[in-house]
Amino acid sequence: MIVGQRKSLQELQAMLSGYKKILLAGCDTCVAESACGGRRETAELAAALKLAFQMANQDVELQETSVDRQCIQEFLVDVVAAAQGYDAVLSLACGAGVQALVARLATIPVFPALNTMFLGETAERGVWLENCRGCGDCQLGYTGGICPISRCAKRLLNGPCGGASNGLCEINMARVYDPPVPCAWEQICHRLQDLGELERLYSVKPSMDWSKAGAGGPRRVVRPDQRL
Amino acid sequence: MQPIPEVVVLACTQAVPQPAALRQALQQVGLSGRIIQEPCSSKVESFHLLRILAQGADLVWVVGCPEQYCQLAEGSTRMGFRVAHAQDYLTELGLEAERLGYSRVAAGNPEDLAATVAEIQQRLRKLPPNPARPRQTV
Repeated sequence: MIVGQRKSLQELQAMLSGYKKILLAGCDTCVAESACGGRRETAELAAALKLAFQMANQDVELQETSVDRQCIQEFLVDVVAAAQGYDAVLSLACGAGVQALVARLATIPVFPALNTMFLGETAERGVWLENCRGCGDCQLGYTGGICPISRCAKRLLNGPCGGASNGLCEINMARVYDPPVPCAWEQICHRLQDLGELERLYSVKPSMDWSKAGAGGPRRVVRPDQRL
Repeated sequence: MQPIPEVVVLACTQAVPQPAALRQALQQVGLSGRIIQEPCSSKVESFHLLRILAQGADLVWVVGCPEQYCQLAEGSTRMGFRVAHAQDYLTELGLEAERLGYSRVAAGNPEDLAATVAEIQQRLRKLPPNPARPRQTV
């Protein structure tokens, strides 16, 4: 799931300055699960911006809409239709959703309401953890299902750095993390030990091919069977 | 002449079975209040509170049941979280967080209701008129 965080009202107000009719477009899947861009959050943001504009004595018309996924053409058409007649669109989708909308609204500016953060898991209510960087070369099969790329601060592939203390990564000494960041490599070792597969760590992993992670330019997945 | 403070109360039907009595109690202390009945205080969302403020209310109040008596187990607890979440927006906007409040009333208990009215009255005395009130209603 894609996890995001709302931009500050101050930044949003500055971005939207000068527009008189604004459509807020929510996205009701990933960012709804991470409680920042679904219908409920779209309604909250619309009400908060209305208060902000009224406090600034600005007459701005705000309208809300929401679709299941702004990154899918079939769902997006509803937002495109709703946006006609508006000066600007404020999208509460992830960056992919915002850009999908931009590609379909040639003359209406589209602004992001969120900072897209990461691919994550809802660990508990109100807590989302980064568990995947979309590196294009998944290592989970070798590491007991715990990702060293997203969960180890140094992205190490061949064991811990030695800086961990009481099971926690040394980055916890730099600032307070809530919840604290565990040492991913300690977790990997314990997990493989529990599975009786610790010998997986005896072979040295070669360097990652980071070109698959985006260092080689924008990535594409093309499936001929799906294009029919 | 001072404008009459406007309070909107969103009240759980179990906590406030007679909304007319609450409205009268507000009127008796000189407040114009609108009471909106809710099946449970957890039905109130943060955006409802913000929308009501954007419509010009000076104060928005939610009445729920004491947590241990909530028929929906954790409805009253959730209500508290939602009010706090909406208050975070107000703080970010530079509006007084005290424009939103809540109390917990045991099934129409007169003492609890009187305490709620007193708290609403006290809040409104301290608050200036809502600066986010739409221009045409000022």
